[in-house]
Amino acid sequence: MIALAVVLSVVVLLLAVLVAGLLRSHADILKALHELGVGVGEPSTRDGDHADARGSDPATSVHVPFTMGPPLPGERNSTSAPTIAGVAPSGDAVAVNVAGGSPLTLLAFLSSGCATCAGFWQAFQRPDDLGLPAHTRLVVVTKGPEMELPAEIAPHVRSGLSVVMSTDAWNDYEVPGSPFFVLVDGESGRRIGEGVANHFRQVVELVRRAEVDSRAFGIESKGRAFSAGLDGPEREVANDRELVAAGILPGDPSLYPSSLADVYGPDARGQTVEPVRYAPDGQRAPSPPRPQDPQRAHTTPKAPDQTGRPQPLPATVTAWDIKAG
Amino acid sequence: MAVLRAHGIEAPLPSGFEGRIFTRLSIGTEVSRPVAHFATFALPVEVGDFGGGAVNLMGASDIFAALFEYGPESLGRQLFSRQGLPRSLAPTDFRPYVLRRGLGGQSGTQWFFTESGRPFTLYVVLGSHLQRSALVPRVNDLIGHLTISPPAQPSGLASAPLTTSTGAPWN
Repeated sequence: MIALAVVLSVVVLLLAVLVAGLLRSHADILKALHELGVGVGEPSTRDGDHADARGSDPATSVHVPFTMGPPLPGERNSTSAPTIAGVAPSGDAVAVNVAGGSPLTLLAFLSSGCATCAGFWQAFQRPDDLGLPAHTRLVVVTKGPEMELPAEIAPHVRSGLSVVMSTDAWNDYEVPGSPFFVLVDGESGRRIGEGVANHFRQVVELVRRAEVDSRAFGIESKGRAFSAGLDGPEREVANDRELVAAGILPGDPSLYPSSLADVYGPDARGQTVEPVRYAPDGQRAPSPPRPQDPQRAHTTPKAPDQTGRPQPLPATVTAWDIKAG
Repeated sequence: MAVLRAHGIEAPLPSGFEGRIFTRLSIGTEVSRPVAHFATFALPVEVGDFGGGAVNLMGASDIFAALFEYGPESLGRQLFSRQGLPRSLAPTDFRPYVLRRGLGGQSGTQWFFTESGRPFTLYVVLGSHLQRSALVPRVNDLIGHLTISPPAQPSGLASAPLTTSTGAPWN
């Protein structure tokens, strides 16, 4: 019995030492991470005697760059459409301005080696049969001469087909591989669609849908952040400003709808949501006059419904309304 | 800013411009010379040297510019006596009747010159003569940064001996 107790005590002691070692190792890792400026949790202590806020002090923290893929230039975002500049397979210099140059530009990122691309090269030999919407410009973009042999591209180039060899364009448009297609709206200078396809008829269908969506979207969001070409944080800031101007401050119940009634008002409960109505000139029909100014509408207590959630006024601009734009 | 560079011509493109610098396929004994096209609208794939097939697509606020090189036989001719590409044009340089193809409302200007030992003509078309005051600064932004290099030496000349053989056997 005594021997068993001694053995168990030894085992417990060994386990305690093992756990202590693991905890110390974990603490060392956390301390190292804090010193690199990427730590989590509370700042570690340094030298054991005094607290050192090195891990959380921006003046002394070490910046660790963490990026995935080549960073885009500051003036670009995920929808910008920079000019494509490169060379033709013949060695001539070519630059295509897709923003403003044509109503719609379809960029086909192809290569000479990929098997799927062969079908597209073949389809481009008969441009009249492509079926693209009118006023759509087709530009084939391959990688530059440092990565593609112009002699292998040249046989695919028929008269009337624009081909630009530019590795920079592949980087600018963040092309993951070939084949890849990007549709650019020339009026807004933005990418309105991108993706892959196996057959060109799929691309044509996507172009048609994107064109229709863009047209409807442009009408509905006229004057808003989206139509201004803003994206990412800039678009968020613009949306926030618009919400504040409408009297919707952080925490407003309309920002957290749980039902259609929260979005469209009490009358929408149990009813079919009506589509957006447009005036005869194609513009969105004006909202009915608001009963009071936005700030008062926001600050005036609203009658709670059965769920206890205050009901937005029928004419109140909601987060959904703006985000959808 | 995109930069076009080919055939001894370098063109940083201002925002809104596209372009190409190319030579056409030679037919027979013809020697093709470089041509540069710049435009603020979508250039068709096939465009005449002086904008045929393109200027008819221009909007009122559009610009088309062509830089066309002539052969060395033109060097020293009176027509090309001006030295250097005009770097700054004035609205008064544009005339509705200076057009290769007269299209209503458009306006044009043409300059012959020699730069870096190469004879050229610069031909610019504005989509609207009435808007020339607003369009000419954009033209100047383009031509002000064009660079033309001296003609490339034929590959045979670069390695040619400085003296000719007097008939002595080579050894």
